[in-house]
Amino acid sequence: MRHWIFSCKQITELISESMDRKLPIYRRIGIRIHLMMCYLCRRYKKQLLFLRTVLQAIEEADEKNGEVLSQEARRRIKNKLDQEKK
Amino acid sequence: MGTEPGQEIDPISWLDHYGDTLYRFARARVKDSFTAEDLVQETLLAAYRSRKKFSGRSTLKTWLIGILRHKVVDYYRKLKPEQSEEDLDAYASGLDNLFDVKEKWLVKPGDWGGDPKNVYERKELMDAIHACLDDMPKRFSLAYTLRELQGVTTQELCEFLQTGKNNCWVILYRARMLLRRCLEVNWFNTEK
Repeated sequence: MRHWIFSCKQITELISESMDRKLPIYRRIGIRIHLMMCYLCRRYKKQLLFLRTVLQAIEEADEKNGEVLSQEARRRIKNKLDQEKK
Repeated sequence: MGTEPGQEIDPISWLDHYGDTLYRFARARVKDSFTAEDLVQETLLAAYRSRKKFSGRSTLKTWLIGILRHKVVDYYRKLKPEQSEEDLDAYASGLDNLFDVKEKWLVKPGDWGGDPKNVYERKELMDAIHACLDDMPKRFSLAYTLRELQGVTTQELCEFLQTGKNNCWVILYRARMLLRRCLEVNWFNTEK
């Protein structure tokens, strides 16, 4: 029974870990039970997921934005490649 | 091979066709444009040197992006920090103060508001995140950046950090705890 009950600190570790690998079932259940009772750990979980979403969204937006290689950089890289081909 | 534009073995035509795509990919992952330009150059050079390895099984674009991805990781590797485990432990020990002796929250997490959409369009949030990452020891920020921004798997990350899985999770945990705490204080201001 002990293994199903975690402290807030342990829950923060487990939630972080769950973002990197699938946890064993008893831990997942332990987290779920704890979260039902603890709004602070719910907030913590929400914060971590928030950060992940934000970073991914920003990265995708950056990839889609219209930035292009400057003419100057293009010329520089082209010179370098020309040298390499010789 | 050879029919699609840019498929020929000519790095200049690769640059013409995929230069901007590669640049945007790099730009989204490193902070300044000069580094991104360098990475594009290194990628094209490396691709040209190993052109025999391109099998034509993937598209040229996918192949180039794959090389670039490695170049980005290499770039971060060179920034690799030299802090002792003891220093890192000492730094992270401040996190223990967030909890009381019974491991309950002492410094309560704030409510950051429900919808990230309202927030994440703001460039300032990203700047705040970068500032927080710059503030923490490199080993933490590096692990976090690679995992959350670069999307490397934990296995790759552990290899990269040259450490066992358990320690890898500890590092990521500490990075997340430090980042959320830093943002809470400096960005969300949920402190009463």
